[in-house]
Amino acid sequence: MVNSRRGFLGSALAAATAAPADAAVTIDAYCSLGVDREYDLTEKSLLEAMDRARVARAVIAPVDRYLAVDNRAGNDAMRKAARQGRLIPACSVNPWYGRRAVEEFRRAAGQGARMLVLHPLVQGFTADDELVFPLVEAAAAEKMPVYIHTGPPGNATPWQVAALAERFPQADLILGHCGATDFWNDVALAAGTLPNLYLESSMARPFLFAAYVQAVGGRRGMLGSWAPLNDLEFEWSQMRKFLPGEFWADVAGGTLRRLLEKRGPL
Amino acid sequence: MIVDIHTHWGVQWEERTPGDPTEWLSYLDRHQIDRACFLPTAGLFRADQCRADNDNIARMAARWKRLIPVGTVWPSQGKQAVDELRRCLEKLGMRALKLHPWVQGFSTALPVVSDLCQVSAEAQAPVMFHDGTPPYALAEQIGGLAQRHPRTQFVLLHSGLLWNWRSALHAARLPNVWLALCGPHKRALEIFAERGPRDRLVWGSDFGFGLADQIEYRLNLLRRARMDSKLRERILGANAVRLLNLA
Repeated sequence: MVNSRRGFLGSALAAATAAPADAAVTIDAYCSLGVDREYDLTEKSLLEAMDRARVARAVIAPVDRYLAVDNRAGNDAMRKAARQGRLIPACSVNPWYGRRAVEEFRRAAGQGARMLVLHPLVQGFTADDELVFPLVEAAAAEKMPVYIHTGPPGNATPWQVAALAERFPQADLILGHCGATDFWNDVALAAGTLPNLYLESSMARPFLFAAYVQAVGGRRGMLGSWAPLNDLEFEWSQMRKFLPGEFWADVAGGTLRRLLEKRGPL
Repeated sequence: MIVDIHTHWGVQWEERTPGDPTEWLSYLDRHQIDRACFLPTAGLFRADQCRADNDNIARMAARWKRLIPVGTVWPSQGKQAVDELRRCLEKLGMRALKLHPWVQGFSTALPVVSDLCQVSAEAQAPVMFHDGTPPYALAEQIGGLAQRHPRTQFVLLHSGLLWNWRSALHAARLPNVWLALCGPHKRALEIFAERGPRDRLVWGSDFGFGLADQIEYRLNLLRRARMDSKLRERILGANAVRLLNLA
């Protein structure tokens, strides 16, 4: 990693004031539910981890295979898992399916999905490609936030997502992973002036994410663990340690709840 | 014994306590780190500060013996880079070379990089690469360099970071490629432990670029990753001792 903006990272040292152990609502913004390749998260293991971490709710998204292909199967699996009550279903469609992608998105939304997930690396497009415009418009119409995985190699950068946010000011866009790792120095600048662009913490690592939140404000930050690639309990414990207490209620759930409840109460 | 293969003497630290790593070392104490590879920062960002930063690193390592000095050079400077590497290894007592193709702006395909690998091999000094970043610091590119220089030991300091780790794992099929578990997520660490070279996995924190304490996170990530305890011990210490010929 590199640090050319010294003051920015330096502030993370001062940020190490313990956050409160609990907040009014705690929502993990991103978990991949399923067992496939490097993923091994079941409903049972997720709920157990949430209990240990004192996390009330978690957004669940399909694993990579169902982001790339078989979107409907992945979306249906999330909907079924979410019957449990504490899990909040996300859906995904591959933009390359065009009109069928929009139709599948609307179907999933009608069945209870609360977030649209796009993954430019896995789904094979550039984040600001016109392929995604119909989906972002549809998500905005459904009052549903769009979570976009960001990071190397270069087709999912913070500035590309910022371009989308600028083009669609009525849409809520979530910068998944904050461009981790090597686009980290773009995050605060790209997000800075766009009120509809939100930052999600997974992979950005707690010791850096605290500095992002200080730059853009807690009302635009949210804590995601991306279990099972990360250890949910550990990510939450580290965030409790590094995030200044004043931001905790928003980052631990408040920000995401406000977005998700645009469609109605959770 | 714990050896942190990847720390930096950051610009902020130099401004805070010039030439004195006492406070910096207190973070190592806090996490019971015994030894640390001590890499420059200013010299990675600015060619005109490279030589002075190498001197500063060597000076501190000479006084604080826990620090294992690692120097850097700028391949774009051609012969001057080779000369500086020789000075680092022969006069300053550096134990390894750090290269950062992204920040220093060079391709591993440059002929001078081969010269640097040759000099490093002669001195039995590993070449440590930032990796995981396109277009010049991909794990597979450094793997290609390692294939062309079988006598040189290469360390991928980030094991492909978060998305390039499969390529890092493939590069480690080569017996002269070592993987530093500093960057990939926990599941990838577990996969490295399952499928990677058990005797060429090492651990690092990247501590020191800024002032934040990232040792705790990186160390606990490794401790929470599922692997047998003997392997974890080797990753934390024994493998690095062998790589660096530490007493």
